[in-house]
Amino acid sequence: MNIYLFWRQPSQMVDSKRMRTSNFQWLLSTFVLLYLMVQVNSYKNGTLNSLKCTTKNLVGWDCSWKGAFEEANGTSEVCIEDRPRSCYQLKKTNFKIPALLPGDHEITVRSSYGLESSISNFTLNEKNVSLIPDTPEILSFSADFPTSTLFLEWNDKGSNFPYHMTIIWEIKILRTERRELVKLETYNMTVNGQDTVHRWSWASDLPLECATHYVSIRCYFDSLYFSGHKEWSNWSQMKEIPYWSPLPYLKAYPQDKVVLAGSDITFCCVSQTKVQVAQIGSTFCPLIPLDGENVAIKVRNISVSENSGTNVIFTTEDDVCGTVIFAGFPPDIPQKLNCETHDLKEIICTWNPGRPTGLVGPRNTNYILFESFSSKYVTFKRAEPFTNESYQLFFHVLPNQEIYNFTLKAQNPLGKSESTKLVNITERVSPHTPTSLKVEDINSTAVTLSWHLLGNFVQINLLCQIEINKANSKQELNATIKGVDNADYLIDVHKLNPYTKYTFRIRCSSETFWKWSKWSNEKQHITQEAIPSKGPDIWRERSSDGRNLVIYWKPLPINEAHGKILSYNVSCSSHEETQFLSEVLDPQHKAELPLGKTDCIISVVAKNSAGPSPPSKIATIEIPNDDLQVEQVVGIGKKILLSWHRDPNMTCDYVIKWCNSSRSEHCLMDWKKVPSNSTETIIESDQFHSGVRYQFFLYGCRNQGYQLLRSVIGYIEELAPVVAPNFTVADTSADSILVKWEDIPVEELRGFLRGYLFYFQKGEKDTLKMRGLEPVGSSDVKIKNITDISQKTLRIADLQGKTSYHLVLQAYTDGGLGPRKSMFVVTKENSVGLIIAILIPVAVAVIVGVVTSILCYRKREWIKETFYPDIPNPENCKALQFQKSVCEGSNALKTLEMNPCTPNNVEVLETRAVPKIEDTEIISPVAEHPEEGSNTEPENHVVVSYCPPIIEEEIPNPVVDEAGGTNQVIYMDVQSMYQPQAKPEEEQDIDSVVGAGYKPQMRLPINSALEETAAEDDIDKTAGYRPQANVNTWNLVSPDSPRSTDSNSEVVSFGSPCSINSRQFLIPPKDEDSPKSNGGGWSFTNFFQNKPND
Amino acid sequence: MSQREGSLEEPKAESSNSLLPHLEAKIQQTHSLARLLTKYAEQLLQEYVQHQGEPFGLPGFSPPRLPVAGLSAPAPGHTGLPVPERLRLDAAALATLPVLLDGVRRHQAELNPRAPRLLRRLEEAARQARALGAAVETVLAALGHGSTTEAAAAATTPTAPGGFSAKVLGLHVCGLYGEWVSRTEGDLGQLVSGAPA
Repeated sequence: MNIYLFWRQPSQMVDSKRMRTSNFQWLLSTFVLLYLMVQVNSYKNGTLNSLKCTTKNLVGWDCSWKGAFEEANGTSEVCIEDRPRSCYQLKKTNFKIPALLPGDHEITVRSSYGLESSISNFTLNEKNVSLIPDTPEILSFSADFPTSTLFLEWNDKGSNFPYHMTIIWEIKILRTERRELVKLETYNMTVNGQDTVHRWSWASDLPLECATHYVSIRCYFDSLYFSGHKEWSNWSQMKEIPYWSPLPYLKAYPQDKVVLAGSDITFCCVSQTKVQVAQIGSTFCPLIPLDGENVAIKVRNISVSENSGTNVIFTTEDDVCGTVIFAGFPPDIPQKLNCETHDLKEIICTWNPGRPTGLVGPRNTNYILFESFSSKYVTFKRAEPFTNESYQLFFHVLPNQEIYNFTLKAQNPLGKSESTKLVNITERVSPHTPTSLKVEDINSTAVTLSWHLLGNFVQINLLCQIEINKANSKQELNATIKGVDNADYLIDVHKLNPYTKYTFRIRCSSETFWKWSKWSNEKQHITQEAIPSKGPDIWRERSSDGRNLVIYWKPLPINEAHGKILSYNVSCSSHEETQFLSEVLDPQHKAELPLGKTDCIISVVAKNSAGPSPPSKIATIEIPNDDLQVEQVVGIGKKILLSWHRDPNMTCDYVIKWCNSSRSEHCLMDWKKVPSNSTETIIESDQFHSGVRYQFFLYGCRNQGYQLLRSVIGYIEELAPVVAPNFTVADTSADSILVKWEDIPVEELRGFLRGYLFYFQKGEKDTLKMRGLEPVGSSDVKIKNITDISQKTLRIADLQGKTSYHLVLQAYTDGGLGPRKSMFVVTKENSVGLIIAILIPVAVAVIVGVVTSILCYRKREWIKETFYPDIPNPENCKALQFQKSVCEGSNALKTLEMNPCTPNNVEVLETRAVPKIEDTEIISPVAEHPEEGSNTEPENHVVVSYCPPIIEEEIPNPVVDEAGGTNQVIYMDVQSMYQPQAKPEEEQDIDSVVGAGYKPQMRLPINSALEETAAEDDIDKTAGYRPQANVNTWNLVSPDSPRSTDSNSEVVSFGSPCSINSRQFLIPPKDEDSPKSNGGGWSFTNFFQNKPND
Repeated sequence: MSQREGSLEEPKAESSNSLLPHLEAKIQQTHSLARLLTKYAEQLLQEYVQHQGEPFGLPGFSPPRLPVAGLSAPAPGHTGLPVPERLRLDAAALATLPVLLDGVRRHQAELNPRAPRLLRRLEEAARQARALGAAVETVLAALGHGSTTEAAAAATTPTAPGGFSAKVLGLHVCGLYGEWVSRTEGDLGQLVSGAPA
C-alpha cells in the first residue's frame, strides 16, 4: 500500500508540477532503483504488496493485491483485525468485503503456498479506496428527423446506492462515420435510492438524415460521504442513428424550416452522386463532406427571407435538389394595445405588432385576445393582403361586466409574446358619428336640435358638444345627456339671434371623457324674425335750395334688424300733432320733406315682418353758430382722429358728418353719432382715399336741436400736388422779373399747401433743355422758398439786363413736391448804361478836340515856328548832321551822319515805283532821295503826321493791278520803321488820301461782303472801339418791345444794333425757331461783361 | 392543304354547308382565345418566376422537371398526329391544367400571400384553360369527334414534398400550361389557315 501510494505521488507530481527534464530524469532513476530494491527484498522475504480496493456503489469494496502468492497455487486468509469474524479464506488474490467505516483498518493476510507461509499486514482506509461506477447502459436512442432532434434514455440504477448523492452524467454525440465529436454535455442529477430513467434530447444543427449520429454516456458519483478517490465510469456502449439510406433522387434537408433570422443553420443533401455546388439564393457556399456522397453547407447569420422563403439548392452533375428556409423573427410584444368601444356593444382592441417578423402565410403570427374574467377569447384572422389597419379584434361586451382584463397573445413558429390591458369599458367610449341632425324652431331665439346615435348607452351619460357657427363667429356648447339605446337625442339651444343664419354640428363623448366622436354633418338653419331692436341711425340735411329737408338713415345691421326690413315710416311730430309723412320702401334710405313753417321732430321707424322698430328721432331745427373756424387735420393710418372739448350744454350726442369737399354735389358722405360724454372719436371709412380733401362737421345736440360746433378739413393722407402752379411773368426790367402765379385747384393739390419753391438761373432754352434745371447742388441755381401761401407774386431782383433766365416754380405739401413748371425769360436791355456808354466817349472826344483847338489856336505861332517853319533849319535835323571828324575844317565837305531822325512830318516830294524791298534790307531814304539839288519832281506827296500802333489790315481787292494784288494800309511808327511804301501809282492815289492827317477807322470804299469776314478777323486783332461798319446786317428791333415767352415757346430778345466787337448775336442761331438775334441786341454793359461762355 | 389537314375534309363534307360559317367562326374564335392565352401564359410564367426568389429566374438555373400527375409535356411526336387527334390531346391537357393550376395557386397562397397579382393570374389561368379546353371540345364535337373528359377526371391536385419542390412543380405546371396553350394555338392555327376564307 505504501508503495502504491508512493507510486502515485510522483505521478501526481509529474502531472501537476511539470518538473524540469533534468530533475525528472534524476528522480525517475532514483525511484526505479528503489522500487527494484524493494521488490527484490519483498520476494526474498515472501511478503505481499499492492493491496488495492475499489467500490462501484459504496456498499462493498473489491480488493486485490499482488505478491509472490499470486503466482503460486496457495491459499490465503484475510482478516480484518478490528472486526470480529472477519476472516476470509481465499484461493484468489482478490476479495470482497463490505465497505468499512472511515478510518484505518488493519488487514492481515496469511498466505501459504507449499511449505512456505507468510503474513502480511496492511492498513486499509476508505481514503485509499477508489469509487468507480459501473458502465452505464443506454436504454434507447432515437431521433425525430423533422426537428433533427436526438432522444436518449438511460437508467441511473439508483437503487444500488445507499444514500442520496449527485451523479454527473456525461453525454457525447459523435457524427459521421469518422466519429467526429459534435456535442459533449454534462448532466447532473441526484439519485434517491430508486432506479430512474433519464431522458435527454438534443437538437442537431445538421439534419439527421444526412449523417450518422452516435451517442455514448458515462457517469461520475459525486458523493460527499465518500472520502476515497472518485473516478468516471467507462463510456457506455455507443448507440447510433444512421443517416438515411441513399434515395434514388437528391434530397435536401431541412425542408421548409422556419429559423430565427441571424442564426447559423446547416443544410445538407443526401445524394448518391457527387454534389458539385450548393447555393443559397444566388450565393454559392463551400461544401462540407458527410457520410457517403452527402454534403452540407453552413450558413451563418442568415438574413430575413422574402415571402416565398430562401431557396437552398444542391446541384449534381445531372440533377438539382433544393429546399426552402424561412428566416424571420418571433413576434414582437404587441404595442399600444388599446381597447375601446363605439357603442358599448362591441369592444375593439387595436395594437401595433411591433417589429415585422418577416414571416407570412401559415408562418405568420397568430393573435388571440383572451379575457381573463370571462375566460372568453377571440382569435385574429388575417385577411391578406396585409395592412397595418387590420390589427384589431372585436370582443362582444358582456352583460353586467364593465371591467375587462385582456391578454393579447402572439405566436408564430419562432416564439410567442403577449400584452395585457385592463379597462373599464364605460370609460373607454368613443361614440359613433352622430347622424340625422335636425333643427327645429322654438322661437326667434331658440331651436331644438335632434340627432341619432348608434349604441347602447343606457348605463352612461353622454357629453355632447354643439358647435354653433354664424357669420364670423363660432360658439361651442356642451351638454350632458342621459344615454339611451339606439334612439334620437334632443337638446334645446337658446339665446340665438333672430333672423340669423346658423350652422350647427355636433359630436359626443361619454361623460367620463375618453374621445370625441367625429363631427356630424353640418346643418344650416335661419332663425325666425323678430322686431328690430332699435330704430335706424338718422340724420337730416337741408336741400341745396333750402326749401326741403332731406332725411337720411342708415340701414339697420342684421343683428339689429332681426329680419328683412320691408319699409320705413317717416313722420313729423310737433307739439300740436304727429303727422305721418311717408312710407319708404327698402332699400331707399332717405326721404325729402318740405320744410314747414314750424319745426318738428322727425321720426323714422323700420318695419320687418315681425313688426316696427322703436322710432329714431331728430329735430329739424339747427342752432346757428357764428363763431366757427375752419381747422385742418391729417389722418393717421387711414383714420381721422377728431377731438373736441366737452360742452356741458350738449345733452344728447355729437354727430360728425363728413363729405368730400371737392365734390360739388350735396355735402354728405356719411355721419357718425358719438355719445355726449365723448370728447374724441376716430373716423374711418372705406370711402376715404389718400390725397382727397374731406370736410368734417361736428354737431352738438342741444335740446333736440343740433348746432354746428366745428368745421374741419383734412386728409387721410397727404400726397404731393399733381400739377404745377400756373405762373406767368407779369413784368420784366433790365434787372428784375416779376412773377405771378395762380392757386392750384384743391383736387390737384392733394394736401395742404405748405409753400412754393422758386428756382431761377441764367440760361437759355437750348442749353438748359438738355441738362434741365438742377436746383440741388448747382451753385448757379438760386432758390426761394415761399412759405407764405397767400403770396401770389414774386419779384426777382438783381438780375442782369438782356439775359435769359430759366424760372421754375413748384408747389409742395407735406405729401411731397409737386411737378415743376418752368419758363425762360430775358431781361430788358439797360438803356441808361447804353446811353452813358455812348455819351461819355463823345463828350470826352469833344472836350479833347475843343481843348486841342484852343491850345492850337493860342499857340499857333509857336506851333508854326516849331513844326512848320517857313524855312526849315537843317541844323535842327540830326539826320543831316555831318561828322565833324571828317568834315572839320571844311564846311563844304561834310559827311552825313546816319543818326535816327525823329521828324514830325516827312514830306515826300517825289516817289517812284521801286521793287518791293525785303524786310531785312534797310535802305536809307536819304541816300536815295537827296534833300537838295535833286531835279526829280515828286509824283506824289505823302505826309505822315501820326503813327498809331501797328495795325495791319489786308483787304482783298480783286480789281487791283498785277503788281499789288491787294490794297494795303499800314499804320506804322515812322521812328521805328523805315519800310518804304513801294506801291503802284494807282494805289498811291489812294494812299495820298488815306495817309493825310487823322485816319478814322473806317475804310471806304469797302465791299460789304468782305467786310463781314474782315470784321471777324478784326475781333481778334483790335481792342478799341470800332464803329459798326456793316449797318446793313443790323436787325433793327425796338428795344422797347420786349417779348417774354416761356421756355417752351421762344426766347425773348430785344433788338439792338450790335457792335462788330460784340459777341452778342453775331452768330445767328441755327435754330430757326429762335428769335432773329443775329443782328439784334447790343449792350454797352456787355462790352464790359465777363461772359461765362467766352 | 396538308395531308393531316386533309383529314378534316371528311367531317366538313359530311356537315351541311350552313354549319361551315359557324364552325369557322368558332375555330377562329377558339384560335384567338388560344393566342391570347399564350400571351397570358408567358406573363404568368414571368410573374411566377419573379415571386419564387433566387435562383429562380437567374440565367443558368434549370430546375428539375418534376413529374406532374396526369399531365405530361407535349410529346415530340405530337405534330405527326392528325389534327383531330392533336386537338383531342390538347383538350385533354387543357382539361387537366385547371386542377393543376388551382393546386399551384393554393400553394402560392401560402407561400406568397402578398402577391395578389400572381394569385389572380393563376386563378384566371385555371379558368381560361378550362374555357379554352371547352372551346376545343366544342370544335372537336363540331368536327364529329368524341369527348375527352375521362382524361380530365384522372388529374389530381399536385403535391410536392417540400416548398422547393412545390415551387419547381408550380413552375413546371405554368410551363406546361404555356406549352399546351401554345400547342393548341398552333393546332387551331392549322385549321384556321386551312379553312376557306
